[in-house]
Amino acid sequence: MKLTASVLELDLAEVEKRIKRFIKEYVENAEADGIVLGMSGGIDSGTVAAISSLSIGGDKVTGLMLPERETFDSKDINDAKIVAEKFGLKTTVCDITPTLEGFYKTIPIFDRTEKLCKGNIKARTRMIYLYYYANKLNMIVCGSSDKSETMMGYFTKWGDVAADISPLMDLYKTQVRKLALHIGISPELAAKPSTPALWPNQLAETELGIKYETLDLILYGLERFMTTEEIAQQISVKKPLVEKVKSRWLAVEHKRRLPLTPKVEYRTVGTDFRLPRHIY
Amino acid sequence: MKKKIKLALAQISSKRENKKANLRKIEKFTIKAKEQGANLVIFPELSLTGYVLHDQVYELAEAILGPSTKKVEELAKKTGMHIIFGMPELSEKTEATIFNTAVFVGPTGIIGKFRKMYLPTHSVFEEKRYFRPGYQTAVFNTPVGNVGLFICYDIFFPEVCRLTRLKGAELMVCISASPAVRRNYFEIFTAARALENTAFLVYVNLAGVEDGLQFWGGSRLVSPTGDVLVKAKYDEEDFVVCEVDYRDIRSAETFIPTLRDLRPELFEKLKKQSENL
Repeated sequence: MKLTASVLELDLAEVEKRIKRFIKEYVENAEADGIVLGMSGGIDSGTVAAISSLSIGGDKVTGLMLPERETFDSKDINDAKIVAEKFGLKTTVCDITPTLEGFYKTIPIFDRTEKLCKGNIKARTRMIYLYYYANKLNMIVCGSSDKSETMMGYFTKWGDVAADISPLMDLYKTQVRKLALHIGISPELAAKPSTPALWPNQLAETELGIKYETLDLILYGLERFMTTEEIAQQISVKKPLVEKVKSRWLAVEHKRRLPLTPKVEYRTVGTDFRLPRHIY
Repeated sequence: MKKKIKLALAQISSKRENKKANLRKIEKFTIKAKEQGANLVIFPELSLTGYVLHDQVYELAEAILGPSTKKVEELAKKTGMHIIFGMPELSEKTEATIFNTAVFVGPTGIIGKFRKMYLPTHSVFEEKRYFRPGYQTAVFNTPVGNVGLFICYDIFFPEVCRLTRLKGAELMVCISASPAVRRNYFEIFTAARALENTAFLVYVNLAGVEDGLQFWGGSRLVSPTGDVLVKAKYDEEDFVVCEVDYRDIRSAETFIPTLRDLRPELFEKLKKQSENL
């Protein structure tokens, strides 16, 4: 296998069809009245909002915009609104700043200078809003995590990744961008740099230290059991970069799984208790 | 034996863990098949229970004859139809030993069964965790033809189909629960197995979504020369009635004489080599 950008090419019409079918059947089986999702104004949430609307109809999709003072950018709100308008979904804006301030004031050991701990509160607070809407309106929460971020653990545990379904989680970021264009998202939004919006001016590629075009090829190679040597050689990058990605890829498995428990009994949750999903 | 039969591909989406609902669906499509003049109706792998069962398979498995197979027997008697469907079969001799089985029922009762020989346990599949493999290929001489049975991943191993054919199968029936990412493989294998054995091959796949697995449907009848004669829709439930004219095998077998040209000594070598892989 030659590891070039072409390996990430997809039959986009088929992928669109498959994701739409997945969303539709899931919502129907769950007997839910629709989907609620967070809209940050970014490419992942824009794509998942659009494809959800194409799948079950925009009238059954609610997009929550959950800005907060520190990272507020009116462009993000506008970008989300453009998607909502084009694909006919409902949106609501909830400013989560007062809620966050409540946490900042009431956590005895709260430290404003630790931006990661503080930022994680934002992602988890957004999750609470989404699940409130879902519970109240008999909806399911649709996540927008992509495979690049999931494999790198580039998300907040129990925060932005928390959802009932994640229709894009098997697509790398560069593939999400292509799918976005295919379903009618504007080229501007498809090319917009990603940010988790945990603090001002945070950019995913800067933080990860690698371009998604390169990262996705490395992850693709690792997924197919290629060695770090092979990957580095084929995409002409230094081996330590590939090894760094691989170390992180392995280290963050804990973020992708249920909490671990010691095996004590006959069947154990998360290891050998295997039941099919009934209620979604 | 009839020279021509009509068969129905009942590409259903099973309701997971709901045998009652699935038996109703089997009844509905069997009656529909009868109304459209079919002699044989075929349902997918594990169509009685759905495919993604995990630990619940222990609750759902039944012996043959058990309550579900008795119901299908009654249905076959009532309609005069031949019916093939899939179910988790509990061994009569043990408490929790289960097979992934294709059951063949006719107007006079159970004709026979086939226990899946190759159990996929890789990627999203975990069949060996739950099922014991079968050890016998199965061919039945019936009023609807000499019918051989096998299940899904068995088609990846040409020896299963070949043995079935060598035992006299003219209609090779593959019931399946294949997810969409594997569609291309089955489209190739179904044509190849029919062609290399110069016999009819009917493939009946599940439709619907179970735990993120999307079954791709695409059930089909393939001619002894590898042509797709009819094909059901991709992804969704569908029902297709088609005709099999067994007389077509003769011309295929003369034009592509793979059976005449078989080299038995190679099978010995194959056995030895595969033991030392």
